Amino acid sequence: MAVRWSCVEVDCDWAVTAPDAETIVPLVQAHITEAHDSFELEDMIEAVLEEAPDA
Amino acid sequence: MADITDFASKFHFTQEMIEGPIYRKYEKAMRKIWTVDEFDFSGDAADWQTIDEQQRSGLLGVTSRFLAGEQAVTDELIPMLAASHALRRFDWIMFLSTFLLEEAKHAEFFMHWHKQVVGILEPEEIASHWLDRTQTIDPSGRFVVRDVLHEALPRYGGELMEAIRGGDEADIERGFVRFSACYNAFAEGVLTMPSYEIVIDTCDGWGKFEALKRGFRMILMDEGRHITFGTEACRILIAKDPSYEALVHEVFDEYRGNLVGLVEYQKAVPGLDLGKYQTMKVRHYRNRCREMRITPDETLIEQILDPTIDFVVGVEAG
Repeated sequence: MAVRWSCVEVDCDWAVTAPDAETIVPLVQAHITEAHDSFELEDMIEAVLEEAPDA
Repeated sequence: MADITDFASKFHFTQEMIEGPIYRKYEKAMRKIWTVDEFDFSGDAADWQTIDEQQRSGLLGVTSRFLAGEQAVTDELIPMLAASHALRRFDWIMFLSTFLLEEAKHAEFFMHWHKQVVGILEPEEIASHWLDRTQTIDPSGRFVVRDVLHEALPRYGGELMEAIRGGDEADIERGFVRFSACYNAFAEGVLTMPSYEIVIDTCDGWGKFEALKRGFRMILMDEGRHITFGTEACRILIAKDPSYEALVHEVFDEYRGNLVGLVEYQKAVPGLDLGKYQTMKVRHYRNRCREMRITPDETLIEQILDPTIDFVVGVEAG
């Protein structure tokens, strides 16, 4: 089962799906840095991952 | 009195615990241990000599708050450990042992930074740089800004210890949810997050204080585990009894004033885009709610984003 993370920053509907947590964490952190000039911690990303169907 | 012939009761590990999220946090904490000895503060000490008085005052306003805050959260963690014991959660106790060590280490980091970079250590010396919370005022009179770490944590901790002494499991769970909502979700997980970013942005903007910035990044990695431990523990207890969700909202509501605006030490460094920190505060609040599987309070979000709610700092009495 893949994992999905969606951004809850104000006015942002960006979401990403990846095969596992290890893969998705750097993708989310890159989004938060580039789109919001901020940071998101690994544990916080992992804590809200949702299961998603495999691509 | 304990039944000393109940031999199985002397052993606490279970397969379910070892496969669970809290035990994994303990394992991760053990893998990620760092020490303050790894830091060389000489570059920061040289940088300190190159900034002006306004910059010094602004930066010390934030760092002295962290020095006090890290000592407060170290001092106030015991009720959570005691409650985990009362609830027979040995994996929570194991993780909290790393949590307590790390909070003490964070206090140690700030102690060394202030001593070696600024040249101040004694409480009276550092207190002279403290920005007075009683001088932070909401001009509309709608919100009161309080001191969460030094008022709310001891009170909720005291109530939790009373519940532990009473021995009623549901009372202990309610006390735990209130305490953790205040400590992990509110103070660590929302209120303080902009402050980390303010210091890192300041170091980047000035091109100085590399050791301070690196220290903040190391501390943040630890805090990510602490915060999500608390929200996971709340999630587990709220899943057991959904009525506990209301307790989280009550805690946030009681200290709403601290969230809706930026307080004095968060406005002390000149030249920062303060609007960014309000927006990110909403993201952190939504994420803490997501972690606990509870519904965010939309009125709180609207108030955090309301530009007309703007506190005045440095107000003198009289």
